[in-house]
Amino acid sequence: MRSTLLRFSFYFILCCPSAWAATDVGQANTHEFQLSNGLKLIVREDHRAPTVAHMVWYRAGSMDEVNGKTGVAHVLEHMMFKGTNKVKSGEFSRLVAAVGGRENAFTSRDYTAYFQQVEKSKLDEVMKLEADRMSNLNFDDAEFLKEIQVVMEERRLRTEDNPSSLLNESLMATAYMSSPYRHPVVGWMNDLMNMKAVDARDWYRSWYKPNNATVVIAGDVDPKAILKAVEKYYGVASARELPDRKPQIEPVQKGIKRVQVKAPADNAQLAMAWKVPKLQPGKLDDDEPYALELLAAVLDGYDNARLNRTLVKQERVVNDVGVGYDMISRGPELFLISTSMAKGKTVEQAESSIRKALKEVGDKGILESELKRIKVRILSDQIYKRDSIFGQAMEIGSTEMAGFSWRDIDVMLEKMQTITPAQVQAVAKKYLVDEGLTVAVLDPQARQSGENKQGDNRAAK
Amino acid sequence: MLLNELIKQASMTIALVVGMMASAQAILPIEKLDSFKGAQAYLVQTKALPMIDIEISIDAGDRYDPAVKSGLATVAGRLMNYGARSERGLLSEAQIADEIADLGANLGVSVGGERAIMRIRTLSRKDLRDRAVQLASAMLSAPTYDAKILAREKQRMTTALQEAQTKPESVLDRRFRKSVYGNYPLANSPTVQSIANIGATDLQQFHKQFYRGDRMIVSIVGDVTKTEAVEIVQGLLQRVPQSGSPIAKLPEFERSPVEPFSQREVIIPFDSQQAHIAMGMTAVTRSNPDYFPLLVGNYVLGGGGFVSRLMSEVREKRGLAYSVSSYFAPGKDAGIFQAGLQTKSDQAALALDVMSSTISQFIANGPTPSELDAAKANLVNGYPLRIDNNRKLLDNVSSIAWNNLPLDTMEVWTKQVEAVTLEQVKAAFQRNLAMDRMKIVVLGAKNK
Repeated sequence: MRSTLLRFSFYFILCCPSAWAATDVGQANTHEFQLSNGLKLIVREDHRAPTVAHMVWYRAGSMDEVNGKTGVAHVLEHMMFKGTNKVKSGEFSRLVAAVGGRENAFTSRDYTAYFQQVEKSKLDEVMKLEADRMSNLNFDDAEFLKEIQVVMEERRLRTEDNPSSLLNESLMATAYMSSPYRHPVVGWMNDLMNMKAVDARDWYRSWYKPNNATVVIAGDVDPKAILKAVEKYYGVASARELPDRKPQIEPVQKGIKRVQVKAPADNAQLAMAWKVPKLQPGKLDDDEPYALELLAAVLDGYDNARLNRTLVKQERVVNDVGVGYDMISRGPELFLISTSMAKGKTVEQAESSIRKALKEVGDKGILESELKRIKVRILSDQIYKRDSIFGQAMEIGSTEMAGFSWRDIDVMLEKMQTITPAQVQAVAKKYLVDEGLTVAVLDPQARQSGENKQGDNRAAK
Repeated sequence: MLLNELIKQASMTIALVVGMMASAQAILPIEKLDSFKGAQAYLVQTKALPMIDIEISIDAGDRYDPAVKSGLATVAGRLMNYGARSERGLLSEAQIADEIADLGANLGVSVGGERAIMRIRTLSRKDLRDRAVQLASAMLSAPTYDAKILAREKQRMTTALQEAQTKPESVLDRRFRKSVYGNYPLANSPTVQSIANIGATDLQQFHKQFYRGDRMIVSIVGDVTKTEAVEIVQGLLQRVPQSGSPIAKLPEFERSPVEPFSQREVIIPFDSQQAHIAMGMTAVTRSNPDYFPLLVGNYVLGGGGFVSRLMSEVREKRGLAYSVSSYFAPGKDAGIFQAGLQTKSDQAALALDVMSSTISQFIANGPTPSELDAAKANLVNGYPLRIDNNRKLLDNVSSIAWNNLPLDTMEVWTKQVEAVTLEQVKAAFQRNLAMDRMKIVVLGAKNK
């Protein structure tokens, strides 16, 4: 549904589109243009089926928000469906539906994006609508008052009643002192309760400009015809100076941090997050981010990967385990390990098992065969990912938003293939240390449930 | 690197195919392959990418679970990944996982109400493809069902079940199924006890009884010739028995019975910020002639995303919920019709009222002419998006085969949508749904 708060992880890089070794073809089939108003256009030709994905990406996400107004990027995303001077509230979705389109939008920490997927002959119609709301959004206060209620319901659904989300929210707010990554994308409830229509309008006026936008179009299209259409519809918007972006650099962490969250659940959960480097635009030769990505995959990239094998299958200390690392993003990065406890096991036991597994990587390194397995997966995914036109547009857009070029994707994938077991060992040893570690624990609380009282719950303890 | 060359070749293949496919918009035909081991097999050839997607549907879903061993079909399916006897000897769970990873393949089993589904995605190069097929063949024909692994997995499932009991959406779903399915086995959900009752022998027996050729359908989409596809089917099923002992008939799947109004509603107190509400009843099979009128009608009612009536009444006009929708889930069995939403716990009564009256009015009056036109326009114009990659094609082929639909279903789909009339929608909704037959489950509601 509208707004999925996407957070791109290692898996996205692996499982979605691009074109490594497709160097020759991927690049030949991808075209980049810039309009005089600063809007960037990227067209990926893929003629396998007569459909098109049309996306506009604004480089404005929750990391651009300030305290007291958290969640406004996402709220504005909702308001973008509430009418322009020409298209009244709700009409946008009706018009897209009429041409058989699928549409939605999502907000992340780094950006906000809108998309439609249509049969190729309908592209002009949805482009016209999307371009219109880049400049002419005009919602009234009554619409805002209803929609902010919807957003609060969204927060209740995704976070308030979801212990894993609460844990993640606390983890981020604890790991970061200063970086705006400490705020949830959906916003703190209190900020939502106090948000005004004018906050959303200010956000729109500040960031929704052609010079802050990238249009990505993938599918059965002719790039020259596309450029003409984009100039016609998006070319009328005028560039404007964007607000000053303060760096908001996170101070260096100097020791372990711990946080506990009490929430209704049956099992304890544990999340460990280390501050780690990311890839910097223009410095694609830095080995460490690639090594960290491969480390994440060695730990959790397939069914027999290290943590699943030792913690879930052999030691049976946790019920499941997941590892995440985003090599590219606008803000700072975490290397994250999340688990839920197996029955009768404590978070202390799980933490100790995780530390042991990581120490083993640090001390003894990894096998060449483990790394090769991960690299084969990366290569085969290069072919699989081309099955999805939408996925290809997603990858291009998210890469661009992180400050990289879509052209860098191939370079990154090639670089990934050159990483050695020793380099993976080195980053494990160097970065997965207590100085930059935050540990978050979900302390499960009994929940009042009629099901329990009715004796229907044979699954209860 | 093993795959480098392959990928370079793949890139060239794409470059060549691009030109040829640009003008071709005809829907790719489904080819029926000769039956093997009693199994049906179907193929759609797509040459643009050097990959193959395979799906094996097995008539071995949750509906065959004995009540006291609810979860049996799911455990039997899940453990197929965790050890099998191949022609080369015993494969451990670690060996299977490593082999899948080394091939750059995806291979897994999932189990739903009606069928168990094994999915394989592999590169089409013959040596890689053959190894993936061999591996799948071993899992399909001779899983080991090791007792130690079973004990571990039972423990994991139990923990997950107990966790699920603390989640509003899971508790609602279990209770809703129990309410609507009556005597049909899908009314039961796995419990700690029913999982505890499952032993390794049960898995062996279940597998022997249900995983056989005459209960399987193989669907293949991708870069293979018809001859190669036949080889794949034969490779997958070579060691699968063609048939077996007779299987007890499932209880009759009945329409949700008419009951006194006072028993329609189940109220579950639950300490959550939101109330979760589900409403529905059993409805139609996929082959029912009312399928298309219901599909088109439900788009208007609650299936059409942001433009549906439920969305408009509940979310757009009143801001009561983030998501609200309705759907039919027809299969070989009469699947359910279900509508649902989540709302702040103190406004549950209002939200339920709006949802009920919206559905009730729709059943009574059907869509307006303009709503019907809009629904048909969306479904017809949007049809290419339902078949624009291998994965989606595979879903379509598999569903067509599973539900015994005509092989030209994809070609005539838009015509069937276009042919739907207002009267048909209204009649179909009135024939298959009735407010006084729908069960309602409300979890976590609080009075103001």
